[in-house]
Amino acid sequence: MPRASLFIPCIVDLVLPGIGESTAALVRHVGHTPVYHREQTCCGLMAFNSGFRDEARTLARHFIQVFEDDATIVSPSGSCVNMVKNRYPELFADEPDWQRRALELAPRVFELSQFLVDHAGVIDLGAHRHATVAYHESCSTLNGLGVSAQPKALLGAVRGTTLVPFKGADVCCGFGGTFANAFPEISTALVAQKVGYFLESGAELLVMCDPGCLLNIQGYLHRHHPGKTAMHLADYLAGGLPGNPGRRP
Amino acid sequence: MKVTTDRFRQTALEELANARTQKFLQILPLRLSARRQEAYGSFSDPEAAHRLGQAIRGEALARLPELLETFERNALANGAKIFWAADSQAANRYIADLARSKGARYVTKGKSMITEELGLNDHLAQCGISAWETDLGEFIAQLLEKPPFHIVGPAINIPVEQIRDIFLEKGVLDQPTLDPVTLGRAARRFLRDKFRDLQMGITGVNIAVAETGTVINVENEGNIRFNKSAPKTLVCVMSLEKVVPTLADALHQLRVLCRSATGQAAGAYISLDSGPKKADETDGPEELHIVILDNGRSAIYQNRHTREALRCIRCGACLNACPVYGKVGGYPYGWAYSGPMGQVLTPALRGLAETGDLIRACTLCHRCKTICPAGIDHPGLLLHYRNKDVQADPLLQGRGADPRERLAHRLFALAGSRYTYWRIFSKVLSRAARLFGKGAMLRGLGPLGRGWFLSRDLPAPAKKSFHERWRQRKD
Ligand code: SF4
Repeated sequence: MPRASLFIPCIVDLVLPGIGESTAALVRHVGHTPVYHREQTCCGLMAFNSGFRDEARTLARHFIQVFEDDATIVSPSGSCVNMVKNRYPELFADEPDWQRRALELAPRVFELSQFLVDHAGVIDLGAHRHATVAYHESCSTLNGLGVSAQPKALLGAVRGTTLVPFKGADVCCGFGGTFANAFPEISTALVAQKVGYFLESGAELLVMCDPGCLLNIQGYLHRHHPGKTAMHLADYLAGGLPGNPGRRP
Repeated sequence: MKVTTDRFRQTALEELANARTQKFLQILPLRLSARRQEAYGSFSDPEAAHRLGQAIRGEALARLPELLETFERNALANGAKIFWAADSQAANRYIADLARSKGARYVTKGKSMITEELGLNDHLAQCGISAWETDLGEFIAQLLEKPPFHIVGPAINIPVEQIRDIFLEKGVLDQPTLDPVTLGRAARRFLRDKFRDLQMGITGVNIAVAETGTVINVENEGNIRFNKSAPKTLVCVMSLEKVVPTLADALHQLRVLCRSATGQAAGAYISLDSGPKKADETDGPEELHIVILDNGRSAIYQNRHTREALRCIRCGACLNACPVYGKVGGYPYGWAYSGPMGQVLTPALRGLAETGDLIRACTLCHRCKTICPAGIDHPGLLLHYRNKDVQADPLLQGRGADPRERLAHRLFALAGSRYTYWRIFSKVLSRAARLFGKGAMLRGLGPLGRGWFLSRDLPAPAKKSFHERWRQRKD
């Protein structure tokens, strides 16, 4: 079986490990052997977005060393994949050797839904799950990676699942990493708006491809609308795989 | 105008609490975005048209010095006068001196962001010369002494009662009314009077054409055309990046500009002026002065990153697409340029020392970049500014990092550079976080993350990380 290396973002590793397990299950399900390099740490996205490029470079070098021998790398985070694919080359603008290594790595890194649909060529996972869901277009996934059709196709192919139209699907949820903490009132206005659209949509679940948006939206739901749930795509899909019915809520 | 770029936070809070602002932000940006989208559909190949517009801006910037020389040569040959203004003071002085020498007690103005950048109205007032804004929205904003709320609708958020009151107070209106048509007519009558026997009119410039020495303006009210044709002396103020190589380039740029700004295939009035009135012509100004403003742009131009900000054609589409603008409106940005446009331009023009919040008040959602007809990578530029700010870059007047924040990032990077450190670091972090709550969701982390916890909970670190689960799995 071909191997796929798991790139587990630090947030997923520490706070949302279930998403990592779901990712591994999906990778296995589409006929790949998941490999996990225990040396992996953090891609450097937060340092980079905060302006600390030296620190981001330290983390990026480590990342490249850990992953550069892998043929296929898959991650359940649109923003982290966007960092590696689209920001590393620019981060090493003044270091040609590292830049070359970053550029060679970039095409081998896939966001999970991208991996399943574009790389493994699977849309119908044979999953069953009874729910009405809405799909939130995470900004890095949509505008950074151009990934939007893939997750919706995957959801659409799940038996028993209805994907409802979602107003403002592509409007930012207000996470923005440190933005959420630095501009809490603006961020709150945005996540409240997103959640408002979600409630209007009539969907039971809001599904997305980015753990950052998930922390934000789920954190807000937990505080203000307990009982309403946001979920990562990996968990939603893996939960519906045969022999795994509703493994996670 | 008063510059309040350092009050972004406070003003944003005020605007979030302002019901009227919120109401208009639910309408205007969405409607303009939808109109833009529809208007782009009238291109036979919208994507190609979009890219061509971006390429024109790219070429214009790559050839900027040469194009400016060509423009100057051709404009002079057309009979225009050219004044190169190094900064606002130089531009303001030139314009005020000119007005004085023409014996003008007042001037009229077409809506232009560049004269707001100059603070021209204030300067003229100090010289005893009144400046009348002639765009209706801008006229209202001026009477109320408010900055523009939106580039396309400067006074769209002002209640009609307030407009009635200020019109009565300033003698624009005789009888109180709330009828918008009557109010509009009153403003028109008032301003028409100013155009009669006009000594001097001032406008901005949307596009300058190098090959013909032409200055182009686009608008919907006809007031700019009045400004350009009624006075004896016309002053057109342009920032130096406005020039494009050819008339064909300009026409395409107009196509994308009008669609992006108001969702029109073309603005109602497009005025192309090549020099003042010729001997055999009946209309037009006797003198045309073109003020070409630098105001820090040459310095910006030297750097390949900041140069990108000069691509902007001021269409305002990014305002309508921006989630942050959509919540706080135009006032918090504190200067002539608001929204993502302001976030890329203002730091470059005024330095990071007073614009630190502007470069951070962004979720990096990339919507602005996606729709920008000029091809600006706003998030990329903001990330560049953040880096320069942290580095205390002298050119951009970066402020340097907060020492605690720097330390945190240093430690984090150190931990992340080695597997063994990272395991220890993450263990400590998880343990520490779990001190703040027993449940699956944390409601606070003591002094940390107060902004986050204002409205959100956070999952507590898992008992076992993915790393540990993977090591212990049995398959
Ligand atoms: S930055 Fe781009 S989208 Fe925004 S006003 Fe300028 S040209 Fe228009």
